Amino acid sequence: MKLIQESSKTKIVSNIVVAIVSFYGISQKQFDLGQPTLFNKVVTEVLAPVQEGLASSKKSFSSLWENYLSIVDTSKRNQILTKQISRLENDLTSMEEIRRENSRLKKLLNYSEELSHQKVLAQVVGWDSANEFKVIRLNKGSRHGIKTMAPVITDHGLVGYVYKTTDNYSDVLTILDQNNRVDVLVERTRTHGIVEGVFNFKCTLKYITKNEPVEVGDKLMTAGVGGIYPKGIKVGMVTDINKENFGMTQTIDVVPSVDFDKLEEVIVLIPTEGTVAEAAVPTADRQAGDRLSEETKK
Amino acid sequence: MRMRFSQLLISFAITVALLIGLEIVTSTMLPAFGWKEYRLTFNVLIVLFLAIRLESPAVPWMILGLQVVHSVFSIEGWALGTLAGLIVMSSANYLKELLHLTTAIMTMLTVQLFQFIWFLTVTVIICLKISDFDKFPLILWSFIPGSVFLSLIAPVLFWILEQIWRVPKDVGPRGVEI
Repeated sequence: MKLIQESSKTKIVSNIVVAIVSFYGISQKQFDLGQPTLFNKVVTEVLAPVQEGLASSKKSFSSLWENYLSIVDTSKRNQILTKQISRLENDLTSMEEIRRENSRLKKLLNYSEELSHQKVLAQVVGWDSANEFKVIRLNKGSRHGIKTMAPVITDHGLVGYVYKTTDNYSDVLTILDQNNRVDVLVERTRTHGIVEGVFNFKCTLKYITKNEPVEVGDKLMTAGVGGIYPKGIKVGMVTDINKENFGMTQTIDVVPSVDFDKLEEVIVLIPTEGTVAEAAVPTADRQAGDRLSEETKK
Repeated sequence: MRMRFSQLLISFAITVALLIGLEIVTSTMLPAFGWKEYRLTFNVLIVLFLAIRLESPAVPWMILGLQVVHSVFSIEGWALGTLAGLIVMSSANYLKELLHLTTAIMTMLTVQLFQFIWFLTVTVIICLKISDFDKFPLILWSFIPGSVFLSLIAPVLFWILEQIWRVPKDVGPRGVEI
């Protein structure tokens, strides 16, 4: 009887201590920018190569599956021929894949050439394992020059920013996450707003007053305010507008310009000396900006 | 049934290894094959097993340990899941005499019920942190598809965990005492 009482006392004390520790953890910031803990660093460095290996073996898995299916129920000769064809097709698919990858990388590099930052090309090797957060893991880290708060883009537009780095890997908080708020400009009307991630791969544009003439189809780009993202990077497009009956602002749905379903390679922009936010405007915008400032001076 | 402390450490180490394997499946393999919209939060399922099937003062610490490992794969961190795990464990303690995980269907229903309590807790805390309760239904709903899938595979995973923790078939609703 005494033993049972002692055990339940220990249990209650354990529960209370762990609850206090977790309440403390929750009361801290949602996530910490900067260096991860030693435990986090070691486990990430050990396990991320496994993630990287699995991510890159995706093609082999799919091709194995397809080849297996294709040789079932055929005669011996047919099997040999099918194997040969399948091998050739595989080669062709691989070449086609390499061609597509080349073209993607070319586009990516051409796009990023317009930005006056140091660029690091990286591959996506993992996603956050919790449903409510949208974070991706890249196969490049501080050893490759990646720093926290570095913006991450593709040729289609903005992906997010780096919030954690280890020597060889870094984690990116995408614009799909509700913790990531991007200061944006509506391209057509030059209205400022904040894009925030909601759930299921969608975003919302906030703080746009009802009298602003924003329309469905309007394109959004980074405003260059806040010191993280350079000005002029594509963010998304307005897909739905709801002017509520009460309140001063409109509810605007935004679809990101980056297709996060097909995200494979990204570019991390490392700010160089003197390139803060507004320095990295794509050529067209930069030229337009220069013209505008010259006219203003006149 | 009582379990020795040394056996607990071995079983816990195997459970951590299993969690790491499943986290890699969730964070890398499934997204690589196009499953990106919903994550399968296997850590929830493993914590549920510990909370429902084990009877020990060490369980809160094991939940904390598992959540710390989970935090390597998720920005969510360890704290949110630990608190949710403790709440689920306390609810399970009250309902333990009513829980009979003897059939696959009962296991699925029980796991779905406790997952709902877990996600309700997590959703409330997220809404408090972002100071926006308008998103409450949206956030809660986003957990449901993944949780249904997890409930469907719960009998298999619970069977594996029962082998790891050496839970005998006739152990009764209170589970293994450590």
